[in-house]
Amino acid sequence: MIVAQTIVWLLGIYLLVGLIFAPYFIIIGAGRIDPTAQQSTWGFRLIIMPGVIALWPLLLLRLLRGVRHPPTENNAHRGAAKK
Amino acid sequence: MLIGGLRKSSANWKVCATAKRNDSFASTTTSLHHLCIGCDCAIDFYCWLIGAQATTCKSAPAAGCSAGKESPVSVGYKAVGWNRQKRIYDFVLVAGLVIYLGLFIGLGAVVNPNATIETLLIRGFGTCAILLLHIVLCIGPLCRLSPSFLPLLYNRRHLGVMTFLLGLMHGVFSIIQFHALGNANPLVSLFISNTRFTSLANFPFQPLGFIALVILFFMAATSHDFWLANLTAPVWKALHMLVYVAYGLLIAHVTLGVLQAETSPILATTLGVGMVIVLSLQVLSALRERALDTEQADKDFVQVCSVDDIAENRARIVSLSGERVAIFKYDGKISALSNVCQHQNGPLGEGKIIDGCVTCPWHGFQYLPASGASPAPFTEKVPTFNLKIIGSKIFVHPQPNPPGTFVEPTRIEVPKMEAVR
Repeated sequence: MIVAQTIVWLLGIYLLVGLIFAPYFIIIGAGRIDPTAQQSTWGFRLIIMPGVIALWPLLLLRLLRGVRHPPTENNAHRGAAKK
Repeated sequence: MLIGGLRKSSANWKVCATAKRNDSFASTTTSLHHLCIGCDCAIDFYCWLIGAQATTCKSAPAAGCSAGKESPVSVGYKAVGWNRQKRIYDFVLVAGLVIYLGLFIGLGAVVNPNATIETLLIRGFGTCAILLLHIVLCIGPLCRLSPSFLPLLYNRRHLGVMTFLLGLMHGVFSIIQFHALGNANPLVSLFISNTRFTSLANFPFQPLGFIALVILFFMAATSHDFWLANLTAPVWKALHMLVYVAYGLLIAHVTLGVLQAETSPILATTLGVGMVIVLSLQVLSALRERALDTEQADKDFVQVCSVDDIAENRARIVSLSGERVAIFKYDGKISALSNVCQHQNGPLGEGKIIDGCVTCPWHGFQYLPASGASPAPFTEKVPTFNLKIIGSKIFVHPQPNPPGTFVEPTRIEVPKMEAVR
């Protein structure tokens, strides 16, 4: 009972922080880490909101690190091309 | 599972790729007419997807991607790249769901007059969600087995999001019905009301459904190209592969839950048939894919195929350096590039050359065959490969070039006798 209550309580706090972070991110933050988001519609900003609330630590980290562009993926060919 | 795509903020379309990325390539000729000032390849791509004859936008000058025209348009995200085809797709989807739910609830009320409307809604949303999930899971392997299913893949994101929304409705109604009237927090109650984990007949199946719903939420919430770009395609795909975990949890949720009390064999049989179809298609497509992954280990040029093995404007796929390579034949030339589209890691080699560009069969992302770079203003790039032709045999060097590296296309030598004729 206590374990379940604690987990639900922590989950609530996590989502609450995400809810506070989300408006800042969809208005300002998204455009900082991804230039494509700078000229985006309000529909787009609203539609990414659930994801921002769920993944806010990742996005906050990108903002704090001053990331300006989305990362480039890696795969076997891209890795071999760097050698 | 994606919702949205990119948009252009200007109507001044100059480069075929700009039309493609807008997701407006699937528009009708009526709406394409004003979108497609630059070229008609948007029509070409959609017609190819649906298997119809392309109609050319008459106002468009003959412009190909390889013309390298710069576009002044800017790029931005929008919520959903609506077009007529997507509207039709979604209309059919929503109409189908409404009819299903109407029939389920209506027939359920007749067959079982004691059932409450809440129970019928819970069961209706639940069965509808799992039915849609089966369809979603079948689309991928079906497309690998036959390109005629590609139009279903094009808008699969909406099916996935709808599956989550139906599951959410099922979950919300269930929690209200079974857990909201006690003293404990409904979510806490969900996990502690039944702890008989050792009993098969009374196993706590509800948390299984809750965990599956959480997975479906993450998939639906990241169903936008913004997430694809910022998580990168491999991470995004790994996240979305969790759908198989969710599927397993949902099968357990149904089997340990409602099937325990079900006396009619209809639900169990339907679920069994659905599982067999999903698993069979996955195994069949995996076997077909595995045949492409037989790799020749060599540090020098590797003979891969003959020129005649490749159809015009199409590719032959081989495996080199731990990944697949697409070798395209077009305009009397051969070029080789990595098979992995930077958008959703779609199979470029299963696409074709449209207006001078390699066009991904999944969502129409384009690359110049010689450089592996998307035409401006887009920035996606894939690695290219050096190759040579000796006689009619094609040899590819296994060392990939950095993404976007221009490699002069190798010309196909026409035999002198044939040239005389």
